[in-house]
Amino acid sequence: MNPRERLAGLRRVLGKEDVRSLARRYFVANGFDGTLTSIGVVLGAYMGGSVDSGLAIIGIGLGAAIGLGTSGIWSVWEIERAETSRELLQLEAAMMTDLEDTQLTRDFRSEQIVLALAAATGPVIGILVTLFPFLLEGVFLSLFQAVLLSIAFGVLLLGAVGAYMGSISKQRWYVAAARMGLAGLVVAIITVFLPG
Amino acid sequence: MLDILKPHEPKLVPFTEQLTEPEEIRGVTAKLVDIEENVRRIRVTVEGEDIDMETLEEHIMDLSGSIHSIDEVSCGETIVDDPWLPN
Repeated sequence: MNPRERLAGLRRVLGKEDVRSLARRYFVANGFDGTLTSIGVVLGAYMGGSVDSGLAIIGIGLGAAIGLGTSGIWSVWEIERAETSRELLQLEAAMMTDLEDTQLTRDFRSEQIVLALAAATGPVIGILVTLFPFLLEGVFLSLFQAVLLSIAFGVLLLGAVGAYMGSISKQRWYVAAARMGLAGLVVAIITVFLPG
Repeated sequence: MLDILKPHEPKLVPFTEQLTEPEEIRGVTAKLVDIEENVRRIRVTVEGEDIDMETLEEHIMDLSGSIHSIDEVSCGETIVDDPWLPN
């Protein structure tokens, strides 16, 4: 398959509402995980007192990003592979023909790629956004200020995703934004009051 | 005229559009005949010059369809009307 056909296949797959909807779910669900994990990791590392620089927190956060990103891409790839294989077997039985190397199987593969990437980029973006203030630590911000800004970025990101979800589901966007953003604050409060 | 079995995807419009891609095909009409749980049966009328059936069949298979039967064929300089068709 040449690159032009591959691009046409990708466009065809992205045109399907069910694929876009599933990609959105994976992106948001895993992005939610990533952002909350990052808020917890950042605050936990700071409160623990074991780190004294922004770069150290970035290092810890990037470890979480690699872990959650890999988890997203790997798990969704395997889930979708199993689901599409099952669907393909049912179709082949119904059609009494081999569908290997047809547009259908190529589209299944493109769907797998799109969904796995959506599942991986969600948490990575969530973590990178919350880690960004630590790049400014020592330049414009103190470590404490960077931690506060990181939590604020996380809560705002969750709120923005909530607002988007609220707008596509025709709900009040600000209520959906507040509901999502609240999760970031809950994680921050629990982490602050953790023993030790 | 072909009797084709295909999965629900690709849908009828993109499936028919893509059937017209080979140069020798001038036009295609597709009509839904039956819907089952996993597949659809469609009737496809293809018009063109020097249509190579093997290439057409490969093209349909690549689009995930399979030809059940070839139900009507017209060849020659002019298209002869079917005298048994009900008026």
